[in-house]
Amino acid sequence: MGILDRLRSLGKPQTEVKEKKVVLIGLDGTPYTLLKQFCADGTMPNLAKIAANSSLRQMDVSIPEVSSTSWTCFYTGMNPAQHGIFGFLDLQPNSYKIYFPNSKSVKAPALWDVLGNYGKRSVVINVPETYPAKPLNGALISGFVATDLKKATYPPELLPTLMELEYRLDPDAQKARESKDAFLADIYDVFEKRRKTILHLFDQEKWSLFIGTITETDRLHHFMWDALVDKNHPYHNGFLDFYRRVDGLIGEVYDRLDSNTTFMMCSDHGFTSIEQQVYLNYWLKDNGYLKFTSESPKSVEEIAPGTRAFAMDPTRIYINLKGKYPQGAVEPGEEYEHLRREIAEGLRAITYQGKPVIKKVFMKEEVFRGPLMQQAPDLIVLSNYGFDMKGSTNKQTLMDREIFTGMHTQDDAHFLINRKDINEKKPHICDIAPTIMKELGIVIPSDVTGVALT
Amino acid sequence: MSQKGFTLWFTGLSGAGKTTLAHIVEAEMRRRNLKIEILDGDVVRTNLSKGLGFSKEDRDTNIRRIGFVCHLLSRNGVAAISAAISPYREIRDEVRKMIGDFVEVYVHCPLEVCAKRDVKGLYAKAMSGEIPVFTGVSDPYEEPLNPEVLVDSSKETPEESAQKILKKLEELGYLPKTDEVYSEEEEEEVKRRLEELGYF
Ligand SMILES: Nc1ncnc2c1ncn2[C@@H]1O[C@H](COP(=O)(O)OP(=O)(O)OP(=O)(O)O)[C@@H](O)[C@H]1O
Ligand SMILES: [Mg+2]
Repeated sequence: MGILDRLRSLGKPQTEVKEKKVVLIGLDGTPYTLLKQFCADGTMPNLAKIAANSSLRQMDVSIPEVSSTSWTCFYTGMNPAQHGIFGFLDLQPNSYKIYFPNSKSVKAPALWDVLGNYGKRSVVINVPETYPAKPLNGALISGFVATDLKKATYPPELLPTLMELEYRLDPDAQKARESKDAFLADIYDVFEKRRKTILHLFDQEKWSLFIGTITETDRLHHFMWDALVDKNHPYHNGFLDFYRRVDGLIGEVYDRLDSNTTFMMCSDHGFTSIEQQVYLNYWLKDNGYLKFTSESPKSVEEIAPGTRAFAMDPTRIYINLKGKYPQGAVEPGEEYEHLRREIAEGLRAITYQGKPVIKKVFMKEEVFRGPLMQQAPDLIVLSNYGFDMKGSTNKQTLMDREIFTGMHTQDDAHFLINRKDINEKKPHICDIAPTIMKELGIVIPSDVTGVALT
Repeated sequence: MSQKGFTLWFTGLSGAGKTTLAHIVEAEMRRRNLKIEILDGDVVRTNLSKGLGFSKEDRDTNIRRIGFVCHLLSRNGVAAISAAISPYREIRDEVRKMIGDFVEVYVHCPLEVCAKRDVKGLYAKAMSGEIPVFTGVSDPYEEPLNPEVLVDSSKETPEESAQKILKKLEELGYLPKTDEVYSEEEEEEVKRRLEELGYF
């Protein structure tokens, strides 16, 4: 509070309206349909109670439906051609060299930066694609792919508290390959520490916006979705039990709210069962569009001259355009357009046991809009449920199965807000940031693509 | 911040490593969003200086022309890279004076090593007299007295030499420093964790 405000408030009666606040719990990869089921079958009683007086909606997310892209859409309200995060990896300009996009690659202001300009404090815990932690008005602990807790913590004075709480950045997914018991135990452990940290900072910090995100859900889904689907699965109850704990946390947070605080929940994508993993780079190679310099290339860094198109995880296809890449082989203009149409047509024809694998192939201008169009993939694929697209470069087959049992979905994320009167339209993840700004009484910047839902 | 133009001037014997280093350095400079043009001696002699020979006078003209183009590029915000033997000190210093933003890299390599490499088969011809004037063999090479960067390609790998040059350019403020987030080990960890989830 500035000195003028303080002087003004001296004369005011004590009944002045309290400042609005927003709390959001993020559940990475938790589908709308799953929460509906858990509300109905008693697995999540706290949520069921909250949902009865809230709007719980199915939500779309941007393509590609991966956490790095999606959460950045969430915290900027903008699409990837504005914020610049198209996936977990990308190529450096004018090269085939891979880099890992991170918080410093994000070209749009974060929600908490906008709030900071209005003097509002934010506490942000474990939102993916926020590493390394950048200074903000508030506190932030970075999410995936954070590697060093020190670089993941802002302000630095928060670090000793996190050490004391034994905060952990992420479960060890390697354990899933060793033993499901060890993996589950690890997930529970990380969650328990995260829960304690969320509640601690909730109580101890001052904030207008509080975001606590659980990413263990996504890890559980990737490796153990089969345990959810099959009621006789030895780990079925282990899976449900994790959600019982999540429900416990939701209850603990909700019980702390006062009447000035809006409560929200969201995920960055949904999940469904995998039938087959599908390798776009194999398809491109098999159809003569892609060449590598070795038999079993580790990544697209090993592209050979003459390549016309390549894919990056999960569903991004890039045309090897002259002038854009060092070994560009496709002329911009008619040749480029023709090739895009040809590849789209070819992809649409892929089937598995008579079923179409691909739901839709988009041209980049159909899904992206903004100053970073140049960086955007030229084609982007949306697959049908069951077909998990991968960017692997070393596969010698179009489809197979690996350890994973769950895959992301684009149209079944969830959004919850504890009021009934919201827009009829199906929410999109870009709508959340402007909704929060509106709740907090802040002018929504004009380049935000989402719209406030309230 | 808009880029400040400058000239990166390689000098050294044939086969010392000027072309090799120019291209490694170029790739990294592009990655950091610099505009770049390379003027390689071999290429220049097929167009800009076509018809010139290897007399002292012709060599001087050749270098002055390269220097002039570098000057034009540098003053327009481009990083101009010259990769020509440029054996005479006086002309190099003349070009330095004209350009101002001038970074000289002496690619040192003993004659025997260059001759042994004999990348283009020219040393064999020079030794047998088939090529009458050849720098280092039958024509002088005047080492720079005070180059901004000195690399020794007989002792360093190309990458090590390139690192020295890039570091100097950073120090001099011609090359933006990278704000690389992940160290090499961290990058390995990121890869591993993405791999575990099937993203890489
Ligand atoms: N540290 C180093 N820097 C540059 N080149 C090196 C180094 N170590 C070994 N080399 C090798 O030396 C050779 C240099 O050849 P290059 O064509 O670059 O020479 P040059 O100076 O451009 O010769 P010229 O004046 O004839 O064009 C290459 O084969 C390169 O691989
Ligand atoms: Mg050369």
